[in-house]
Amino acid sequence: MNGAWVVYLKELVDALRDRRTLVTVLLSSVAVGPLVLFLVSTLVGGIEKRAEARNVMVLGIEHAPTLANYFARQTYTVQPAPADFEEQLRKSRLGEPVVVVPADFEARLAAGEAPLVEVVTSAANQRASIGMGAVLRLLRGFSQEQALLRVATRGVAPGLLEAVRVEERDLANAATRAAQLAAMVPFLVLMAMLYGALNAAVDTTAGERERGSLEPLLMTPAARAALVLGKWGAVASVAMLIAVLSCLSFLPGQWLLRSEALAAMFRFGLREAAWFVALLLPLAGGLSALLMAVAVRCKSFKEAQANGTVLLLVVSMLPLVMVFNQEGEAPWHLWVPALAQSTLMARVLRAEALPLADVLWPVLVSGALAATSLTYVAATLRAAAVK
Amino acid sequence: MIQVKQLQKRFVAGRGRKARTVTAVAGVSFTAADGAITALLGPNGAGKTTTLRVAAGLIEPDHGRVSVDGIDVATSPRAALARMGVLSDARGLYPRLTARENIVYYGRLQGMAREAAEARAEAMAELLDMKPLLGRRTEGFSQGERMKTALARALVHDPANIVLDEPTNGLDVLATRALREALLALRSEQRKCIVFSTHVMQEVSRLADRVVLVAHGRTLAEGTVQELCALAGESDFEEAFVKLAFTPEERGAAPAL
Repeated sequence: MNGAWVVYLKELVDALRDRRTLVTVLLSSVAVGPLVLFLVSTLVGGIEKRAEARNVMVLGIEHAPTLANYFARQTYTVQPAPADFEEQLRKSRLGEPVVVVPADFEARLAAGEAPLVEVVTSAANQRASIGMGAVLRLLRGFSQEQALLRVATRGVAPGLLEAVRVEERDLANAATRAAQLAAMVPFLVLMAMLYGALNAAVDTTAGERERGSLEPLLMTPAARAALVLGKWGAVASVAMLIAVLSCLSFLPGQWLLRSEALAAMFRFGLREAAWFVALLLPLAGGLSALLMAVAVRCKSFKEAQANGTVLLLVVSMLPLVMVFNQEGEAPWHLWVPALAQSTLMARVLRAEALPLADVLWPVLVSGALAATSLTYVAATLRAAAVK
Repeated sequence: MIQVKQLQKRFVAGRGRKARTVTAVAGVSFTAADGAITALLGPNGAGKTTTLRVAAGLIEPDHGRVSVDGIDVATSPRAALARMGVLSDARGLYPRLTARENIVYYGRLQGMAREAAEARAEAMAELLDMKPLLGRRTEGFSQGERMKTALARALVHDPANIVLDEPTNGLDVLATRALREALLALRSEQRKCIVFSTHVMQEVSRLADRVVLVAHGRTLAEGTVQELCALAGESDFEEAFVKLAFTPEERGAAPAL
């Protein structure tokens, strides 16, 4: 065991002195959290601002004084649309849908013939599409008001027109809604951890082989198991360090949230961060060992990095099962590394209960993965040194 | 003392249909005594590196055995390695560690306490004349500086037996001379058993007490330089080596200089 400790300390010092790689990984993993939050908050903040501004863009409002009166009563400000609004909408230069009022609007309304009002947008124009709902509701409100007035003047009770009452009720609680936004956090944290582990795993196996230091290392009386355990410990420690930093980076990231509504929705506090770390640490151990097993077969650093990246791609695809699987959560999800952790992290974000068994299965799987991979590394190490 | 008896080793090169068996060693035997420098002399591909790798327990032989101070390498490799300092063909250092850290790491792996390993690093630096190097990271070391560090690393546990695979490869005149002096001192003052492989005549005649001639995976002859010259009936050692190590066809095929 003493030998393993000596190897662990050396590998850790070696990995931490690789400043350039470490800084790149830290910047990309730890900075990504706050950055994504900031971008989302800017987008959502923009939407909120537009909703608060209560603007409606109309072409030909001069033909419809009744409609203008309704807009004013609803405290909406009417903005004249530019002449080339179609072109601007198509090129996403205009961020709001445009209401087009025909010249004979007022006359036809008075005559009881339904005038046609167009609301123009482009499905390819995200910003304009978001505003569509509000404009349609506003116009329906006007239409309904007009209809009620006509019916009332004919002495019919307005209630008769409403055969069915419809009301929306959303079952999602605040935490569930927040989870939609926070769903990207598990993915980002997982990727950061994996990229942190990749470099260290490749350096201690294929890197050692390429440098020509593996052969002399095996000519010391240190037990093979001690060498492998020490190396694995160092790789897993680096991965865990990155995982912890990445989880914690989302805490101050919240202060960057511009939108108050968003800040209230994004629930990622110390409790969630602690759960994330607890779920990720065993996975860090398992995947570090797997990366080492992949890299130990490779002759050069480059080859090992290419193979490791393929593994990372596969692992990062696994959580997508949750997105594509319409059946919902299945028991086997907890048996697949990375998918299990993503599933459980999503549950933490939804503030759902985590039964002990559900937490323990993935830990066992990670442990088995680590044990199998490390046995393989130990068995391959000598062959790798002389080939 | 290192004893090598009837060593044989074959490798399978390639896979599937293209697989073929390569005989690397087909019967190498020699004894390296304490307080003497034994040279394993042979052309490229003679099986020297494979023999030394088997001696270091890195490869298992198909046949034959190697013992170090009476300890069988195949059955108790760790005990044998503890009595051996091996400078192999691959002598990679850790570029982000200093020379001292590189040496102390190996001392710790040999089971030494940190203080003892540090003290040995200083002593080896004294012997190999590399004191100013100790505190520097090994990144950017010259070939000679690398070799000194690797040698200090291999000898950190003060082994009774020293095995060196082509130690002067890539070294300039001064570095070669420094290495030679260090090895002679280790032999005479500390009575170490030293084995080194080489294909350079000069080194053998200046360093070796005994020469083991290896070619085509076999031991062809063994003795002092004078004995080998007498055996070949040549006064020049190079002529004797060519005559003993190569077949007449091989000698004929070599391009005339």
